[in-house]
Amino acid sequence: MQSPGLATLDPLKPDAARRWPGTGRSIQFVVMTRAVNSAKGAAGAAVVVAMWETVRGLGLVDPRDLPSTFAIVRAVADGLRGGELASAVAMTVGSWAPGLLLAAVAGAAGGVALALLPRLEIAIRPLLEFLRPIPSVALIPVALLVLGVGLQMQLFMIAFASIWPVLFSTKTGVEGVDPRFMETGRVLHLRPGARILRIVLPAALPAFATGLRTASAIALVVAITVEMLTGQGGIGSYIENVRLNGLVTEMWAAIFVTGVLGYLVNAVFMAIERALMPWGPEYRDR
Amino acid sequence: MADSTAVTKPILAVQNLSKSFTTGGPRILNGMTFHQKPGQFVAVVGPSGCGKTTLLRCIAALMQPDEGEVLHRGQHFDDPPSWLSVVFQDYNRSLFPWLSVRQNVAFGLRGVSARDPQIMAALSAVNLEHAADLYPWQLSGGMQQRCALARSIVVKPKLLLLDEPFASVDAQTRIDLQDMVMGICRSMQLSTLLVTHDIDEAVFMADKVVVLSTRPARVVEEIAIDLPHPRDQLVTKETPEFLRLRHHVYTLVRQQAQKLPRETQTER
Amino acid sequence: MTARSLTITPLAWQAGTIVALVAIWHWAAIFHPAVYLPPIQRVADGYIRLCHGELLFSALLPSLYRLLAGFVVAVVVGSVVGIAMGSLRGLDPWVRPTLEYLRFIPAVAILPAALLLLGPTDQMRIFVIAFGSVFPVLLAATDGARRVDPTLIDVARVSGLSTIERLWRVVLPAALPSVFSGVRVALSIALVMMVISELIAADDGLGFYILRNQRLFQTANVYAGVLMIGTIGLILTLTLLAVEKRVLAWHRGWRGLMEANRG
Repeated sequence: MQSPGLATLDPLKPDAARRWPGTGRSIQFVVMTRAVNSAKGAAGAAVVVAMWETVRGLGLVDPRDLPSTFAIVRAVADGLRGGELASAVAMTVGSWAPGLLLAAVAGAAGGVALALLPRLEIAIRPLLEFLRPIPSVALIPVALLVLGVGLQMQLFMIAFASIWPVLFSTKTGVEGVDPRFMETGRVLHLRPGARILRIVLPAALPAFATGLRTASAIALVVAITVEMLTGQGGIGSYIENVRLNGLVTEMWAAIFVTGVLGYLVNAVFMAIERALMPWGPEYRDR
Repeated sequence: MADSTAVTKPILAVQNLSKSFTTGGPRILNGMTFHQKPGQFVAVVGPSGCGKTTLLRCIAALMQPDEGEVLHRGQHFDDPPSWLSVVFQDYNRSLFPWLSVRQNVAFGLRGVSARDPQIMAALSAVNLEHAADLYPWQLSGGMQQRCALARSIVVKPKLLLLDEPFASVDAQTRIDLQDMVMGICRSMQLSTLLVTHDIDEAVFMADKVVVLSTRPARVVEEIAIDLPHPRDQLVTKETPEFLRLRHHVYTLVRQQAQKLPRETQTER
Repeated sequence: MTARSLTITPLAWQAGTIVALVAIWHWAAIFHPAVYLPPIQRVADGYIRLCHGELLFSALLPSLYRLLAGFVVAVVVGSVVGIAMGSLRGLDPWVRPTLEYLRFIPAVAILPAALLLLGPTDQMRIFVIAFGSVFPVLLAATDGARRVDPTLIDVARVSGLSTIERLWRVVLPAALPSVFSGVRVALSIALVMMVISELIAADDGLGFYILRNQRLFQTANVYAGVLMIGTIGLILTLTLLAVEKRVLAWHRGWRGLMEANRG
């Protein structure tokens, strides 16, 4: 082969000795394609940075409001290396995680109960349909009235906001369990409790995981909103404080770190989902 | 032959056409050459999987060949010329599901409303006036293909390409569609290129049959079909001449199919 | 059980739940008065006050304006960029990593930056609402455009359509079912971002209204505001579903046909 362009390396040659697992394409081809795509992605990001610097350079925006990307990167490094930013991130995660855990437990229990007890579902459906269109953040003032400012209120808001996706997808998951599985359980003389534990829950687990991933993003938004609004310690209040003190570079640094946090949270839950359902549609698409 | 080309310039000239899917990869079409005179009905047959659809896409200028060229009235085109139209193989994938029959037919006409008399004329040519306001999902397979046919003749093309247009309909519908297409093409004096794997259909409908080899495809033989018009499904198909031609084409195609290497046959 | 009792029993149960909840609330408000437990009558009064007069112009309408403006911007930008990304395959690897980063920034976090650059203005709030809700539309549109049947693109090319016409007349309608699913998600995010932007940086709108009443301990008004926000969400969702049902009527029939063919 004289010119090993990308196209000639490929496709699906029966004689190609080594393949990338699961694709049937040669390792060379997959590595090359990925390298080229990563380079393109980096170039795309570089264009965004260049645009940022251009806007700054041309003075379209007050340069004090738009610090140089280099300064922001340095502020990120300083802030994370034992700075206040690191502890703010830790505090946000520290309230986000238990809040989400509460939502996961309560949402899973509620979802299973609603799916298995149709009478209960019918009875409280009006309540659910009534609460559903109300954005949870609108209830922050109500929670402030009832619980006051503090960690307790923040945890409640995080859990309340993120319970819904867990609840509804668990319910859908349980309702979607193949009735033949249940019949198998009865034939094997499993008691109802064992049937739920050993058949319903494992079968509904992928749906639960998908709901939990949606919930994790919502929980983060609510955690930060509550922090901004009440001054509860965390990224939200940190961003507001540095902005009010005119520390613009620190503000931008914190925002980009928040983005990374959001990205990582999603990546972690995506990995959990993949582990739970390697065949699932999320695995194929993204 | 020089005198005849001077009188009638071919509407379509395929010259030494070669094409492969990937640059440097195995060829699908290999040095293919044939001509089509204006008003002629040409059928292209060949063993299944020999690259007929690739050929049609090259002819329609939806794809550019690697080597050789496709000339329409002596000219090269980078995009499909306006006087060419195509009926695609999968009728249920070539109609726009969000447009009614009438709107589907009007799709290629610029600045013409879906209520224009041209649309109704095209629809009545395919006996579909009664379904003008239905949507594709409400039509049977044969009706969908008639709608696609109406859409391609409404633009008054000079050259009509048909890619296995009757492949996925039942036998009776297929026969009706063959008669309908032949009638339309003759009355509009269309040059028609039909790609098919059905030998009966090719011999019955065409003035010339081009037989392709197995992959990489080239032209094995061009056979003139001098059966008289109008052709009839019963009468024509019982004439000794039809049977002789059918036998000849069939033998050629079968020879090609047997040449297929074993592994290529089992691949699909 | 007869069919009749099957349809009536759930309604009875549901009516029973609602009546019980209202009764408990009412009873609790009378016998255990607390700041967070105003009588239902006063919540209803507050709700009605939001629908007319001064509060209509200082709370309801500003919120609606910001919500709709941000939502429309998100839908238009998301559809246009998404369809471009989905149909021009080469574009995707250049843009995708940046988008994948941007879409996971919790939209609240960019609010202070928007406040800094745009000030406490409606443009700022519209920007934040649009930023939060654009990504579901964008990703759904990309996905939809990528799945357009190649035969339809061939038909468009043979019909002599230019690239722009092709995107408008073929790719957009074909991607519309997918776009709509993104738009539904976007609407709920837009509502959340509207509330957040008004809680944190506004001096009118429903978010500001509930926060101010909370500080004044006017609890009934807080509940009334929350109910009003829920009402807006409900009405917009129902409107969207009605539009979708009309615009995508072809899609339900078509999908049914494709499934019947497969089965």
